[in-house]
Amino acid sequence: METYLGEKQQASQWSPYINNGGSCLAVAGDDFAVIASDTRMSLGYSIKTRYSTKYLKITEKCSIVSSGMQADIFTLHKVLKSRAQIYEQKHGKPMSTDAVAKLVSRLLYYRRFFPYYTFNIVAGIDDEGVGCVFSYDAIGTLERVKYSASGSGSSLIEPVLDNQVALKNRNDIKKEDFKLTKEYAIDLVKDAITSAGERDIYTGDFVEISVIDINGTHEEKFELRFD
Amino acid sequence: MAGKNCVAIAGDTRFGVRNQTVALDSNRIFKINNRTLFGMTGLNTDILTLRESFKFQMNLYNLEEEREISPKTFAHNVAQTLYSKRFGPYFITPIIAGLEGEDYTPFLCATDLIGAMEFPKSFVVAGTGEESLMGVCETFYKENMEPDELFEVISQCLLAAVDRDALSGWGSVVHVLTKDGITTKRLRTRKD
Repeated sequence: METYLGEKQQASQWSPYINNGGSCLAVAGDDFAVIASDTRMSLGYSIKTRYSTKYLKITEKCSIVSSGMQADIFTLHKVLKSRAQIYEQKHGKPMSTDAVAKLVSRLLYYRRFFPYYTFNIVAGIDDEGVGCVFSYDAIGTLERVKYSASGSGSSLIEPVLDNQVALKNRNDIKKEDFKLTKEYAIDLVKDAITSAGERDIYTGDFVEISVIDINGTHEEKFELRFD
Repeated sequence: MAGKNCVAIAGDTRFGVRNQTVALDSNRIFKINNRTLFGMTGLNTDILTLRESFKFQMNLYNLEEEREISPKTFAHNVAQTLYSKRFGPYFITPIIAGLEGEDYTPFLCATDLIGAMEFPKSFVVAGTGEESLMGVCETFYKENMEPDELFEVISQCLLAAVDRDALSGWGSVVHVLTKDGITTKRLRTRKD
């Protein structure tokens, strides 16, 4: 907006998006995947609720966590859940993790010109029984990775996972000698999200963590700081 | 980062202007005396100016007081210098690390660009990669580390965090300060 003197004024325009904060992460092993998210929903410097789930179990072998705008997370999860149900009823079997990953990507790209303000991570077991993690951007760019973090605490969590899962910059241990066990991964995920909860104001309250392996999904909840 | 009767400061050595890397060997961590290390991030010209300014002030202090400055006093001096420019600040984020008193108690201080001080017991972070640094330090830090372990931990924290920040990297330096002196090591990082 320009004034008659020709200078540009900063107009605060209404935005349809808000960020409700929160952190999500997932780590994949050889035959399991661990996925976790906190449950705090914030608006500005206030907490709207201490428990607002960001996690959805899509099938026994696949789950999704999302961070960003809670309204879009809720809608995306609703649509995803119903699409997964339709698939299962049509094809007589649950969706495979690869199919879910592709579906999420398509659902997000469908809204290419008015995106869902969600930063998603899908994790689960693929058809060969190998753990997998898929990370996305807001419009559905899909990449299969070994670990991923999203949300306000992502910049706090990502370097920890780089160092402990991908063994970057490690001189004390070789990649060939390292095996990512389930207990190690669960402890790492718990530590990483606890550290994010300490230092990121939008992360805290509770964490929903779930471990997906060939036997199904095991869900757990634990407390973080309430401040 | 603070350990048991020791402290360590680590920093990268990239000097860049937005996306352009200009130098790979810029040193941002300076020794004030055998008990105090001082690091700064931010605008390079302010870093250089303040380095000279504090060197001058410390020389004068040594001559007048006939003793070495303690880290705590130095930290307050930094804060005062920065606040004196409250409405036209130096664009830097300083970190002071030292060993205080007869028992060589670790001392850490971080301030913002206008001199608001904070004295944490565990670690301080600053720079473009501060969020990443905060995450790794919070996860890997533990209390009462001996100098060798402190060196390993702070090195891993720095390397992990700078690899996630586009504006940091291109070499790094770690100083570990104990009552026996300062050990300096340069680590190889990714050159990108």
